[in-house]
Amino acid sequence: MKKPSEEKKYMLEMSTKEVEELMAAIRATSKKMTAEYIERMRKADKNRPKAMQYFDEIADFEKREKELLAAKQSGKKVVGYMCLFAPIELILAADAIPVRVNSGWYDASKLGDRVVPVEVCPMVRSTIGAKMIGLSPYLELSDALISGLTCDGMTKLSEILSDYKPIWAMAVPRLKDSAQSLDFWREEMKTLMKQIEALTGNKITRGKLKSAIELTQRATKAFRRLQDLRKGNPVIMGRDAMLVNQTYMWDDIKRWTEKTEALCDELEERARQRNWACPPDTPRVMVTGTPMIWPDNWKVPSIIEEANPQGVLVADELCSSERLLYDPVGVDEWTMDDMLNAIGERYLMASTCPCFTSDDGNKDRINWILNKVKEWKVNGVIYYVVRGCMLYAMEYMRVKKVLDHMSIPVYYLDTEYTREDVGPLKTRVEAFLEMLTARVDI
Amino acid sequence: MIMEFIGELLKLTVLLGLTVAGILAILIWKKNLATRVTYLRFLIQVAALVSVFYLFTYSIWQFIVLIFILLLPLVMGRFFCGWLCPFGLYMDAITLIRKGFKVRYRLLPDNLNKFLHKFRYVLLLFFLVVPFILNVIDPPPAESLTLMAMVLAGPFDAWRILLGPVIPLIVPWKGPLEISSVYFSYPYVQEVIYYSKLLSIEVFTTVMAWVFVALTVVGSFFLRRVWCRFCPTGSSIAVINRFRGFKWAPLLHIYKDEIKCTKCGICKRVCPVQVTDVYEQAGGKITTSMCMLCTRCVEMCPYEDCLKVNFGGKTVFKSRNWLEPAKVE
Repeated sequence: MKKPSEEKKYMLEMSTKEVEELMAAIRATSKKMTAEYIERMRKADKNRPKAMQYFDEIADFEKREKELLAAKQSGKKVVGYMCLFAPIELILAADAIPVRVNSGWYDASKLGDRVVPVEVCPMVRSTIGAKMIGLSPYLELSDALISGLTCDGMTKLSEILSDYKPIWAMAVPRLKDSAQSLDFWREEMKTLMKQIEALTGNKITRGKLKSAIELTQRATKAFRRLQDLRKGNPVIMGRDAMLVNQTYMWDDIKRWTEKTEALCDELEERARQRNWACPPDTPRVMVTGTPMIWPDNWKVPSIIEEANPQGVLVADELCSSERLLYDPVGVDEWTMDDMLNAIGERYLMASTCPCFTSDDGNKDRINWILNKVKEWKVNGVIYYVVRGCMLYAMEYMRVKKVLDHMSIPVYYLDTEYTREDVGPLKTRVEAFLEMLTARVDI
Repeated sequence: MIMEFIGELLKLTVLLGLTVAGILAILIWKKNLATRVTYLRFLIQVAALVSVFYLFTYSIWQFIVLIFILLLPLVMGRFFCGWLCPFGLYMDAITLIRKGFKVRYRLLPDNLNKFLHKFRYVLLLFFLVVPFILNVIDPPPAESLTLMAMVLAGPFDAWRILLGPVIPLIVPWKGPLEISSVYFSYPYVQEVIYYSKLLSIEVFTTVMAWVFVALTVVGSFFLRRVWCRFCPTGSSIAVINRFRGFKWAPLLHIYKDEIKCTKCGICKRVCPVQVTDVYEQAGGKITTSMCMLCTRCVEMCPYEDCLKVNFGGKTVFKSRNWLEPAKVE
């Protein structure tokens, strides 16, 4: 394993004290923002499910940070990952803790501006910024990082972070439908497996891998149950569901599954009492595009669900939310080889990331969106893109053409990691929702 | 005489009982879809094996079974191969043993697999023609030809090879291996012996028979359903539904809903005969004649309603979110 270099090339030109002050200031803002968003979510739904209490707590970084610290002291390793391509079953099988380390802090993205150009995706800039001042507890606590080399931002991000942490880069083939891509990906998985084993000192055995797969399968089960509940009249606000999905990225998976099942029980009861989270004729909106990361990058869902007229998020196609868990690992035979194949295929082939190219125009992604639109009875789609997210932006027209054909309105919402454009964004979203309301009424 | 009659009656009762049990099993399974379809398939395969044994106690039935197998694909596709064929059952059993040893299966290269699939039609044609060649070489009395065809005797003995995969392990006739007056056989072994004799290499017949058994056992240990990839009996009429006017054939087929598919590749991986069409085809009716309708892909597909088994326009079985908690367990 390559040791991180001593000389940090991407570093703020500040004294340690200044950095610490900046960190404390941003942390305080972050804490305030987290509390504020949760408060707003509480207000949005008068009968907010009681089970959401747990997710509110875990959404605050400090609780999980303490747990991770305690786990690390007891000898466990924490493995961070930046893209969905990281096979977390392998991490779990080696008794390590997987956490996703993408950063959603707006203030951190401003720091990133100082070392990379502003044209770079703000999520990448924010992650760099967070690393430079040690803002993200998960990024700080992880012993190694798995980086899927997907988009340009992620590819270079892993290089920049290698100054700080050991990086296990996984080259993602840009074509996923060919046999050689799959073979290549399998080799990447095997390499990663050896690296994880070397770091943790635990051998990934058949039994351990099987129980890891079963663990994530159970999580998928709970997750799918939650999404299926959103098919009918709204029993949960979209932001709440998104927060539940989001916490999967850093929570203890077993506990997360239990809590989500408990939430689903409560929601089922709620549906029986016909106690809806918002009026059933509220326009049903789906978000697709760039991932939205807690805590700061929560403005778009908040705007949608607090707008007047109100909209409700019933589905999304974000790798930070529904794509996290939609696909289970389907194992045919519980042999080591087949399990590895199953994990590999689940991460590579089932992914609808726009970093892939194909001659059918990423049809998998379009099919996913169409399926969501039909099954979740979506009235309108918001195509959310942050500046610099080239891949999602370039796919917009293709998605729009297909949805136009089905007369589902699509709205291209481009923004940045900033709080300053909330006003204009709100106006734009409200106009779109106004139009949807008119369509729903007809 | 009376005893014989009672014996016959008993056999028929057992057969009827098995049929009823099979139907019941399907009904029970339909009620509770949580039960894996693979178990149902095993049950039906075993029932089919027993039924075949009974049917084979009458030589005339062999011919009818053969006609049945060859005409069934017209409406059912290769349903026979996936669900009824005894050789299929043996190979599935060997697969189970392999799973017990935690050994991974091997895969044939796709090109070879597709070539073997085409090769089966050559084999089928060849074996259908053999009796007529033999007829020319050594003409039997002409008036008995029809009868000979009906009981697969004389030159028509060669047609028995098409019944090869259907041979039960214990046979009701004088089989190649006798242990305490019970005759044992194995798919194709009688044919191996028959053709060895025909080609006058009698010296090695027993050796060749054992080599054949060993080859198929080892082959199916490493390759799932190895024989099904080129078995001449398993020729499907599904080829014709590529042509205009035959789109309805076969009535039983797998249907894929394009927008529900995420191309996760599970269907391709779990297929015992490595059919890639379910994965590759955009959507609609899966028309490949390589598919033997074992419905393993439908069972393993984790997306609700993405894959369906349709019979005459009616859905009999469809993929479901198998992660869901089973209602009864």
